[in-house]
Amino acid sequence: MMNSLRHALLLGAALILAGVAVFLIKVFSLGYPVASDATETVWDFEIFLEFDGRDEPARLEVYLPAGDVARTFPQEQFYNGPFGLNLTTETETRNRKAIWTYRYPSNRKVLRYTAQTIGETGATPLPDSFTKAQNKAALFEADPIKRQAFIVWSGDLRRRSADDLSFADLALKETFETRTESEQYADEIAVLLEGRTGVIGRLEIARQTLRDAGIPARIANGVYLTEARRRVDIRHWLEYHLDGKDYRYFPDGDPARFFTIWYGPDDLVTARGIDELDIQIALQERRNATVDVVRQSGNGAPRIDKVFGFNELPLTTQLVYKVLVTIPVGITILVFLRQFIGFKTLGTFMPVLIGIAFRETALINGLLLFSTLIALGLALRFYLERLQLLLVPRLAVVVIFIVMVMAGVTIALTGSSQAIGLSISLFPIVILTMTIERMSIVWEESSASEAIKQGLGSLAIASVSYLAMSNDQVEYLMYQFPELLLVLMGLCVLMGRYTGLRLSELWRFRELAK
Amino acid sequence: MAVSRVGEITMLGTYRALRRNGVIGINERNLRLVNPNNPRRLMNLVNDKLETKRVAEFADIPVPELFGVVRDARDMRKLPEMMDHADGFVIKPAQGSQGKGIFVVDGPLKGGWRLANGRRVSLDVIKFQINNILSGMYSLGGQPDKALIEYRVKFDDVFGKVSFKGVPDIRVIVLKGIPVFAMLRLPTAESDGKANLHKGGVGVGVDLATGLTLRAMQHDQMIETHPDTAHPLENIQAPYWDDILMMAARSYDVTGLGYIGVDIVLDREKGPLLLELNGRPGISIQIANRIGMRSILDKAAHYTDKKLDAAKRVEVAKSLSASVEKIPMADGRETLSEATTQAAP
Repeated sequence: MMNSLRHALLLGAALILAGVAVFLIKVFSLGYPVASDATETVWDFEIFLEFDGRDEPARLEVYLPAGDVARTFPQEQFYNGPFGLNLTTETETRNRKAIWTYRYPSNRKVLRYTAQTIGETGATPLPDSFTKAQNKAALFEADPIKRQAFIVWSGDLRRRSADDLSFADLALKETFETRTESEQYADEIAVLLEGRTGVIGRLEIARQTLRDAGIPARIANGVYLTEARRRVDIRHWLEYHLDGKDYRYFPDGDPARFFTIWYGPDDLVTARGIDELDIQIALQERRNATVDVVRQSGNGAPRIDKVFGFNELPLTTQLVYKVLVTIPVGITILVFLRQFIGFKTLGTFMPVLIGIAFRETALINGLLLFSTLIALGLALRFYLERLQLLLVPRLAVVVIFIVMVMAGVTIALTGSSQAIGLSISLFPIVILTMTIERMSIVWEESSASEAIKQGLGSLAIASVSYLAMSNDQVEYLMYQFPELLLVLMGLCVLMGRYTGLRLSELWRFRELAK
Repeated sequence: MAVSRVGEITMLGTYRALRRNGVIGINERNLRLVNPNNPRRLMNLVNDKLETKRVAEFADIPVPELFGVVRDARDMRKLPEMMDHADGFVIKPAQGSQGKGIFVVDGPLKGGWRLANGRRVSLDVIKFQINNILSGMYSLGGQPDKALIEYRVKFDDVFGKVSFKGVPDIRVIVLKGIPVFAMLRLPTAESDGKANLHKGGVGVGVDLATGLTLRAMQHDQMIETHPDTAHPLENIQAPYWDDILMMAARSYDVTGLGYIGVDIVLDREKGPLLLELNGRPGISIQIANRIGMRSILDKAAHYTDKKLDAAKRVEVAKSLSASVEKIPMADGRETLSEATTQAAP
């Protein structure tokens, strides 16, 4: 006896532990969200290259976004056409590059790279090498004129700034504001810019100026997520590290959210042997349920959620299981209410079946309908008693009567509300008939009050289990974490060994509580 | 009154007090008493009253005489012959429980039959009732059943003043052959002549050693007099007490079931008759006896392994009941008669 108790306790505890363990692995290690409505932003990123071949060896080097701590690529695809593809990663900058090559391309060719990415680079800290103090480097040594201009400008910057921070601010401001031609050092900047154009040129000057002052800095290139569309512009900005903090300078205005593709002053595409290159970068935002994102991540490697999950099943089967896995929740509640509270019900699992029937009608409609149909059915049942029919034919008459009443209700309601009428027609008839039959037997053989007590108990448990089973969060948890079935099973095993008094028995034995 | 008293005590306090007094609930009854002591394969001996009758007769335990069994429509033709008893008879489902589907017929009346409740019914009504029984309406799980037609007990007048219609019976709880509890069950107007407590019957604790009635309850609350006859319920001597205990103790030997309720009726002419056995006896008997079941069961457990014969086990039962302390009444008095005698002068 003690042995079987220990056995049951161990089994219950083991089931609960196993279920909770798998659940925790999925939540904390795989990142499954616990809330049903958790969503995550997924970016569809695309680089589209179109060009003419020249019948000579062609080579295109294209920077690709790289994953880091704040960003992952659950899905990546390359459309290579006849081209050979080689992927490389630069050791110093961690830049990723696709190198497409083809010996003799002719006419128009297309290359495409698409990726689904999660996360933004806005939160990514600068690499460790940026936090170390850097040696000053002598700049523009080869060009005395540039050197002279740089010394004049940066020397003055130093005089006009209080510290490294204001120095960096000032340097960046003056690098970019020379466009107005009114600045004092426009000439010097113009000299330094010679041979360079655009934002990258100016950023490079700023980077070198900061570098000269011992401030680590790099040029970053990418897209602003706030501009997501079919054709987005490549933007450039400067990232530097000062006094333990990361700074980013955006010459085109601070986007708040952005997405780095590569670092350094080079262009996105370096091409050889082609003409008429057209580059399109597309960026699209999608909000996906986090759980879908998590599920699709990973590349076919065996994972625990492949075993404890329904996602590999056909869609229609999945829908069935969505409902099916909630039934154990209702049953566990029923076990608790019976074993610990002492509810009296008609039949053992009848209340849960009624609860499932409520799924079709919603709660209030279901309760009203159920009570009405039971009352009518009972009345008929007592009338049939007088005719002295045999059990099975009598049950049949009750079933037919229920179908007729339901058909009547449906027809009556069709004018006002189609939805209610339709859901009623699916209301399980058999459950109703069995309930009526059981109730009438209790009514006759015990008492009307006992029958009503058991009927109300059944409806109460049906309501509670319906509310639990139809709850979105419960459905989500049970469906995405079927390992919780083990927990429910363990709970039922443990409850099966409860030998204490029920709540109702405290009242029943009140005379003995001295 | 009871409501306010319970209201004052906290739920946890009630729970602890009941635990301390050794009161057990349905959960514990099922898990500690029924499941380990009553193997399922033997349960048919008590679930099927025909089987019970057979094993009891085999062991010379007196039972009401069987007039006939209706198993199918063919047996129906022999029905008039089975019912040919001027003193009446009882029709009951072999596998019914809690008194369901029982039909008591007083005797023939103007071409029909008179029921115990005074109604006159035709043969058709009786056939309909038997058909209901055969189709499994009263049996566990709705499986097809047999209808028994048997001797109607002419109950002993000793309980006449404390019964309303119907037949009073004595329920003895037997643990591995040792009677541990006894209760007199009395029908009331509310219970429709049936002795079942949950239908409103009265339960009166019976002292195992003497067969004298103790305290009484109805609807789980203590009462002093029968609700219909207003007759005091205490200190009535059950006749044939030793025979009753012996019958209860021997029921274990013939069934092998370790935890049963033995229901015995007293017939005016034939003495105690075994009416039926119950493999899952109720737990309200604790209230009528004001004894938590656990204390007495624990004590009985010392003797259950000793393979005593029935007479020895009855002796043990008598000594046990004397040694168990009763849970005091709310107002502190030991028995009802004390209060009555104090109030008299």
